[in-house]
Amino acid sequence: MRIASTQYHATMNTALQNASARLELILQKMASGQKYMLPSENPIASVRMSRLAREEATLDQYRENIAALRERLTRNEQYLDAMSADMLSARDLMVWAADGSNTSADVNAMASSLQPLMDSIFFTANARDAEGRYEFSGSATSTPTITYDPAAPAGSRYTYTGNTDVQLVVVGNGVTQPANVALNEIAAMLNQLDEVRVVLTTPNVSVNDPAVRAAIAATMDSLDGTLESITGKIATLGGSQNILMTLEENHSSVSLSNKQAALVLGQLDYADAAVKLNGYTTAVQATQRAYGAVSKLSLFDVI
Amino acid sequence: MSIIHNALSGALAAQAALHTASQNVANLMTPGYTRQGVLLASVQPMFAGKLSAGSGVSVASLVRFSDEYKSLQMWRAASELGERSAAQPYLTQLEQVMGAEESGINSGLDAFFSALNAASVDPTSTPLRQQVIKAADALAQRFNSLNQVMSGQRSAVSQQRLAVVEQINALAAEIAKLNRHIADSQGTGVNPTALIDQRDMKIDELARLVDLQVVNQPDGTRSVSLRGGQPLVLGARSATMTATYNPDGSQTLTVDFASESFTLINNRLGGELGGLEHFEVDVLVPMMQSVSAMAEQFADNVNTQLTAGFAPDGSAGQPLFEFDSTGAVGILRLRDGAIGSELAFSSNPATPGNSDNLLLLIALRNQPVTLPTLGAVSLADAATQLVGTLGTESQQNQAGLATAETVRNQAEESWKSTSGVNADEEAVNLMQFQQLYQANMKVVAVANELFESTLAILS
Repeated sequence: MRIASTQYHATMNTALQNASARLELILQKMASGQKYMLPSENPIASVRMSRLAREEATLDQYRENIAALRERLTRNEQYLDAMSADMLSARDLMVWAADGSNTSADVNAMASSLQPLMDSIFFTANARDAEGRYEFSGSATSTPTITYDPAAPAGSRYTYTGNTDVQLVVVGNGVTQPANVALNEIAAMLNQLDEVRVVLTTPNVSVNDPAVRAAIAATMDSLDGTLESITGKIATLGGSQNILMTLEENHSSVSLSNKQAALVLGQLDYADAAVKLNGYTTAVQATQRAYGAVSKLSLFDVI
Repeated sequence: MSIIHNALSGALAAQAALHTASQNVANLMTPGYTRQGVLLASVQPMFAGKLSAGSGVSVASLVRFSDEYKSLQMWRAASELGERSAAQPYLTQLEQVMGAEESGINSGLDAFFSALNAASVDPTSTPLRQQVIKAADALAQRFNSLNQVMSGQRSAVSQQRLAVVEQINALAAEIAKLNRHIADSQGTGVNPTALIDQRDMKIDELARLVDLQVVNQPDGTRSVSLRGGQPLVLGARSATMTATYNPDGSQTLTVDFASESFTLINNRLGGELGGLEHFEVDVLVPMMQSVSAMAEQFADNVNTQLTAGFAPDGSAGQPLFEFDSTGAVGILRLRDGAIGSELAFSSNPATPGNSDNLLLLIALRNQPVTLPTLGAVSLADAATQLVGTLGTESQQNQAGLATAETVRNQAEESWKSTSGVNADEEAVNLMQFQQLYQANMKVVAVANELFESTLAILS
């Protein structure tokens, strides 16, 4: 084929431009560490990477939720522990009071020790978070868990004013865990304690009076029943913690495999890039030399 | 005597050939220059007799080394290249904006739903609720800035189309003018090759802007029309193209030739005009509609769910977003005065800590939205799929562009192989015609000696 003289220059220009474009792209990739600079380089891989990023974002949030939820559950557990310690002390007092050799003065003194324990249980049940919301009122977080009405007769002064709704926290795709504990049983127990306190504070009270003994026995029953219920709730909280830990482990292993997949899909293989860079550079140098040699050839130089 | 006459004709032919070679060498680097050569022919003997060899040589004409088919191929390649290269910068820009992981719609949606998820730990917490509002605002901004980029692209496409139309008109007018000069020169006997080169260069420029049909006329002019047959240049007359804006933001192209007017509706025009149209009609506008539909349905879904619930103070839920497809500031924004404590996460006015409605809000992430280009896709995946289709579109165009560049390069090379100047070839021609000239001069000298000898005998 006949070749026009300017064709050498045109070919050289095209070759150099293509080589520069390739070099520029490989340099950009090496600088950023990304295998693809634009979705169009590999639309399928870009869709897959984007989906992995979406899943990672959700997993991150689930893991944050789990951490926050575990903190909240631990706090609840501590409150319940404190409350059950108070209840045990109240029970000890009842056991002591039931002793028939107690004088009425002894019993009066015991009754006065009961009041601070009741107050402590009352305040713990009405515990509030940093923003003033009641922890144990179910989903009625703006109303106190237990309301105290001094005007009412003993035995009905404490009322549970929360509800037993469960607040659910999202901890996985379609997985929720309860975040709250409702203390609906405490009010009945406090009323019972209040009643026995009134009975025991009566001047010249005798523990051998069958009515007094019955009141003490009923209180012990109430304390036992409530303690059992609270211990059950503490156990449930522990169980939730275990479930959350398992979920957390699952999330982190899925996240790890996602990250590995994202690396394989989107991370530049530097060895491969370096080899390509070398190849392109050599190609440019060879083209330049060839052009240099060819462009020196001219018949005008010899005639 | 005929020897001297023959030698003279040879020397004159050599001079013409040398002149032609000098013109070729002078235009070695001239773009679009078509090399010329001399067509030599021996002349029949003027005198009768078996021993008359002939009456020298004549330069029958100058030859233009050109191949119409190669020119047509080059122009077709220019149209294809123009079409692909006009769309690519827009596609790349849109890809860069939409594909950016940190600033795209996707991570905005992630942040919004993360904030909702975080609020589920403590649905009444003010800071967590405020975080939802902030994330919602940021997401609306992302929708708006993407929409702004696309609106900007649309107006850039319109501006570029106006500029292209102006160029087309200017080139058509120049081609018509050159056609007239070429037709005139045929009448006056002037070599029109330089004019033809100029006109063909203009046609090449025009072909890059819009795909053409070129027909040769007997008077040496070329008629140029659009792919659909609408005339741009007929002989010495040219058409005028105009672009007018429509209320929906699109543009209509019309071609006026003499008293006739042609409207180009949804024509595949080819060239840069066609590339712009392809990008606008097939990529940009559907993408704008999809992003707008996504924003609208997302806002509607969130608002519907929120108004079904109750705020912590027991009041009925308020919508969070306002959508306006023609908004001057943007398509999506927060309702004025939206605050965290109003967010209706509870399903019961009496229980502020209830999170049933919040859980339904979180579930919206996987609810489908219906987009014009994709059909029903989950909200979480919609933006990813939009970027995917855009990536595929851009990839196809890049492949087309690479092919068009190769085809154009080959077409140019092929054209040059016929019409381009080769310096070595011209050097050979120079030497050969120089020798031809010298040889003829030698013939004159020999004839002169013969003549001298004859005179010497006589004297």
